[in-house]
Amino acid sequence: MMLDIRGLQMSYGTEPVLENVDLEVKPGEFVSLIGPSGCGKSTLLRALMGLQKPSAGDVYLGLTRREIGLLFQDDALLPWRTARDNVALGLRIRGTAKAEARRTAMQWLDSVGLGQFGDRYPRELSGGQRKRVAIAQVLALRPKLLLMDEPFASLDAIVRHYLTEDLLDWVEKEHLTVLMVTHDLEEAVAVSDRVVLLGNGPRAHVKGRWEIDLPRPRDLLRVKEERQFAVTARALWDALSEEVRAPAARQRTETEAATP
Amino acid sequence: MKRETLWLQLRRAGALALVLLLWEGISALGWIDPFYAPPPSAIGGAIAELFVEGDIYEHLEATFGAALLGLFLGLIGGALLGFIAALLRPVAELLEPVMAMLNAIPRVILAPLFIIWLGIGIASKVALSFILVVVLTFFAVYNGIRDVDTRLVERVKTLGGGPLVLLREVYVPSVVAWVMGSLKVAVGFAFTGAVVGEFVASSRGLGYLLAFAQSTYNAALTFALIVLVLVFVMILFGLAGVLERYLLRWKYR
Ligand SMILES: Nc1ncnc2c1ncn2[C@@H]1O[C@H](COP(=O)(O)OP(=O)(O)O)[C@@H](O)[C@H]1O
Ligand SMILES: [Mg+2]
Repeated sequence: MMLDIRGLQMSYGTEPVLENVDLEVKPGEFVSLIGPSGCGKSTLLRALMGLQKPSAGDVYLGLTRREIGLLFQDDALLPWRTARDNVALGLRIRGTAKAEARRTAMQWLDSVGLGQFGDRYPRELSGGQRKRVAIAQVLALRPKLLLMDEPFASLDAIVRHYLTEDLLDWVEKEHLTVLMVTHDLEEAVAVSDRVVLLGNGPRAHVKGRWEIDLPRPRDLLRVKEERQFAVTARALWDALSEEVRAPAARQRTETEAATP
Repeated sequence: MKRETLWLQLRRAGALALVLLLWEGISALGWIDPFYAPPPSAIGGAIAELFVEGDIYEHLEATFGAALLGLFLGLIGGALLGFIAALLRPVAELLEPVMAMLNAIPRVILAPLFIIWLGIGIASKVALSFILVVVLTFFAVYNGIRDVDTRLVERVKTLGGGPLVLLREVYVPSVVAWVMGSLKVAVGFAFTGAVVGEFVASSRGLGYLLAFAQSTYNAALTFALIVLVLVFVMILFGLAGVLERYLLRWKYR
């Protein structure tokens, strides 16, 4: 197992945000995590990264933290470093010599389609290009596991589509293991081997799992014509809707009970 | 330079020339008393005389020396103190109220004290420049570090960076950006400190010359000295601007 979470509980104050969360990810699997906004998806990733301590439960990682790559929605590049030096930064931190790190960084920028932009500062790049730099920065460290938190949420549909496609290519080619938080259900079905639904919080836990055994490598556009895609996407939609509506429903019954 | 900015500068220069010409004309007509407001030609003459006779140089040297040394020490001192206070809670608790108090008062009132402590030589002027600049820089750096972008900090950490890498890649560049933001104000402060210090008690410097001009009711010399200070501060502003655009090229390019 690459990643094994058992009975995880996470709290900020007194009431736990997550409770009794079980989740496992096998090597080479692409797992997507969906759930109502604010249910604790980001908190779960923070626990995996060791940025925040669980209040109960176990997190088992089948690799070292250095083998994990992270992509977040609001990934920030250093504004005072060029695209090339931003990509080289991770390598430099891990002890690669400057010239060597820069050379490698340029190769990675090239492979995300930004070979011409090595000398640009982040301010001089578009949102999509900055995201590509962030991807190059992470991939350059050759991670075995990618943790992503709504990585492309702030980008427009077309840019998002091509980024997802490129990333999927890379993941399939390198057999990376991925755990991705997303709010795009179709994207989740299209790219994943498994989709996990986290219920609404507080005390959120896993409410459902969907295996998606569409063949790989997948074509992001083609896969949407498959019958299994439509069926699963619909099932996810229904399940998520129920979770999102649940707090309102609960409140209604409570009000009804209070007024005879 | 862009065409529009060039044009703007031309218009400004034109307006200034017009004002000076009017002033000269009104003086010639005898409408204003040259004892209070000598005509531009007399002020220009006074400036020329200062340079021709050559004794201005030691005064310039004294003022520049004090201002630049005070500026340098103030920037370094303020940055260091701000850095330490932002990272160590107990230091901040001690330092912040002192700095806030120094920030609230007009710091030039310390001039007489520095002269008693350090004498009428350059040291008291450096001290006054320093105290003006150090408080400004302290707050720029202290507040700057406290709202360093946490996303950058987390990013560097998740790439595996330790405290030293954080310092070099995130904190120091942020601080440089903040200090550069207040560099021009600091230059002005440094000159204020030096000139006011000289004005209070000294034997050299533009401030000393100003005190002399005032005591002899020499308005032309006073204006001449004011113009000189103005010109030199503008030149330093220009240099500060060049330095800023170089160090913050990621922002301006
Ligand atoms: N730093 C924090 N301090 C206190 N509460 C937090 C903090 N971060 C998140 N929360 C709360 O924890 C819950 C889960 O947040 P998050 O993990 O960001 O949700 P998601 O990513 O699923 O939208 C939310 O109710 C949020 O208000
Ligand atoms: Mg989130």
